[in-house]
Amino acid sequence: MVLMQISEPGAQPDQGASRQHAVGIDLGTTNSLVAHFDGDAVQVFKDVHGRASLPSVVYYGADKTEVGYEAAAHAASEPHNTIASAKRLLGRARAEFEDDPYVALTQSGLAFETDAGNKTPVEVSAQILTALRTRAEQALDGPIAGAVITVPAYFDDAQRQATRQAAELAGLKVLRLLNEPTAAAVAYGLDEVAEESSLLAVYDLGGGTFDISILRMSRGLFEVLATGGDSALGGDDFDRAIVDFWLEHYELDELDAGQRRLLLEFARQSKEGLSNGDTVTIDSRALDNGCDALLLSRADLDRLLTPFIERTLSACRQALTDAGVGSVDRVVLVGGSTRTPLIRQAVAECFGSEPLCTLDPDQVVAMGAAKQADILVGNRGAGEALLLDVIPLSLGLETYGGLVERIIDRNSTIPVARAQEFTTARDGQTGLVVHVVQGERERVEDCRSLAQFELTGIPPMVAGAARIEVTFRVDADGILEVGAVEQQTGASSEVTVKPAFGLDESQITEMLKASYEHANEDMLARKLGEARLEGEALVSGLQAAIAKDGDLLSAEEVSQLEAGIFNLQTVLSDNDPEQIRASTEMLGQASEAFAAMRMDRSIQAALQGVSITDLDGDEA
Amino acid sequence: MLPESAAAAKASRSELEPAMSAPAREYFALFQLKPVFRIDRAALTRSYHALLDQFHPDRFAGKPQVEQRLAAQFCADVNTGFRVLSDDVSRAEYLLSRAPINLKEAEREGVGSDFLMTQIALRERLESMQPAEVEAREALEQEINRHYATAVEQFEAATSDEHWQNAARHWQEMCYLSKLLEAARVGSR
Repeated sequence: MVLMQISEPGAQPDQGASRQHAVGIDLGTTNSLVAHFDGDAVQVFKDVHGRASLPSVVYYGADKTEVGYEAAAHAASEPHNTIASAKRLLGRARAEFEDDPYVALTQSGLAFETDAGNKTPVEVSAQILTALRTRAEQALDGPIAGAVITVPAYFDDAQRQATRQAAELAGLKVLRLLNEPTAAAVAYGLDEVAEESSLLAVYDLGGGTFDISILRMSRGLFEVLATGGDSALGGDDFDRAIVDFWLEHYELDELDAGQRRLLLEFARQSKEGLSNGDTVTIDSRALDNGCDALLLSRADLDRLLTPFIERTLSACRQALTDAGVGSVDRVVLVGGSTRTPLIRQAVAECFGSEPLCTLDPDQVVAMGAAKQADILVGNRGAGEALLLDVIPLSLGLETYGGLVERIIDRNSTIPVARAQEFTTARDGQTGLVVHVVQGERERVEDCRSLAQFELTGIPPMVAGAARIEVTFRVDADGILEVGAVEQQTGASSEVTVKPAFGLDESQITEMLKASYEHANEDMLARKLGEARLEGEALVSGLQAAIAKDGDLLSAEEVSQLEAGIFNLQTVLSDNDPEQIRASTEMLGQASEAFAAMRMDRSIQAALQGVSITDLDGDEA
Repeated sequence: MLPESAAAAKASRSELEPAMSAPAREYFALFQLKPVFRIDRAALTRSYHALLDQFHPDRFAGKPQVEQRLAAQFCADVNTGFRVLSDDVSRAEYLLSRAPINLKEAEREGVGSDFLMTQIALRERLESMQPAEVEAREALEQEINRHYATAVEQFEAATSDEHWQNAARHWQEMCYLSKLLEAARVGSR
């Protein structure tokens, strides 16, 4: 079937001078990377020392802030000022870390207490993203139009929102949040055009998160069939298990925070040393604890890792069942933790095929993200690979008795929207609470609470007479919007789910203002650039639309839109972002009905299988 | 203002209006299929992919926001439609929702007592089985499968004869049996 293309020739991106720079960012628990696709090849940007990975560590000293290797150097001497693995805490609740000896937090709220003040996980992540943005801007010698940032597929809504906030704080325009395993699949799909459809499993074990995704790949289509995992399981847990083993084995005394950090570092070194050896001995005199050497054998490590690996394998089996497939054609390994021999062996046994790891498991995610970023920034037109991703966890709301009514099932392809009708439980009830939860369990307390809002203004009726339609809408980033409408009165209320433990919009604005990198002029320039881009997109899009589908409008309607275009064009040359935004908004609203008519027309055309050549033929 | 205490005012599910009673689009037409139970799955998938290839939000990068929003809404419809038509039970329910019967009333009438007894007997056998009885489990799974296949056949026959009351009854049988089948599969893992 040949379908009509909706993109008109006039609206095609300019391939020449104005090629936009977009990057892919892998914001990892332990290491982060930034990569760029220039149309031919993916390049992972390196620092001045030639290192691609940026340790996801931020140092907040009294008089300076450092990121990466420089920050990590302070870990033993100033542990409280040196924040590592902040991703584990992104979008999560303080209560989840209450008893964790490895996480030092402020008395209230989820923040780290440093000499530079209290820092939230969102701020720490923003600092890392800023360092990556700077690295990319220097390498590309110009500003970045946007970024695709990868997140673990198993990240819930709050964790995704927190990631978006961190990007905003770092002055990055997020083109899309892309699931890490999907990004890896894209990277592997770069050099091949699979004619036959094939099944692929991506086993992604990083520093702090584990994901398993099952995909079907066929002729430019990457379709995620199922995803699963654990957003708090990774190489960090291995390190901690090794530390706990040593503490017990060598009967070490209570350690201070600095010693603990050092011991974690020793654990990491031993683990890596055992990737190709049978025993490792660490010189631990620096610990200054009466213990001169620490020993770890391959057998010890394997025994310590087994329970963690078993958890990942049971998620793998569940994902296969959810995908409705018995086996896969290939398995791809992603994440530094998959270098561990025992894990390779376990994955090979579980899927019955030798895992593929021709691309660097540390870089593959950033590479796939870079490729997708280039498509999303508009450098390439139709015919490109299409990704169909899913939501990892079911979404629902609380009903009477603390039970969860599921609205959208896990592994639903996004974007997705679903509506469900509810009614009041008591006579004369004029308001109700909509409590949105995420998870697979039947009781509310076993699921993750995402948001709670009230619908008021329902006229008093007998119980069961009101008709309240609750709509869940998940966009292509996996972010949820919920609305409720009482059908008879039109009383309505809606929320975009915000992370309960992140920052609100005004806090972000404050921080942007306060931040040195975003001094006023810079902020203004950025805002102006973004507003112009959106305004120009509307002008050129609308002009092309009128040229092509103007017959849908009366002459009067056309001249009204043209007046709006003229007005916006005039405003575009001024330097007032607010004015541009307002005019864009106005013209956007004025053209909404026209856009809807055109959409209907193109859908009709698609359904009838009309090809673009037929239509062009008529016009010519 | 919310005079109810939060706990008392919690939403409770209506038993009157399932969300699927008023679908936004005609799904069969959307995927260029005849509105019958037995569909060409390959054709469904082909249409699905072709629609998403053209209207997925990724294809609207750099377009005005209003177009992006419309495309996302349409894709959400396409995804929902694909899910509804892909699964036997939900496709059957969707067919009934377009048929000239009151589905809620038919649901209250329920399935026949014979079927109910069969279903209860199957469930009891399943629940009394030990995980180790692999062969017996597989045999039972196959038996449930045969019952399910019969219900599907009867549903299909009833819809082509436009005996909607019968169709609604067989659809409910399909619901019972598919849940049972799922329980049997979970148990045997």
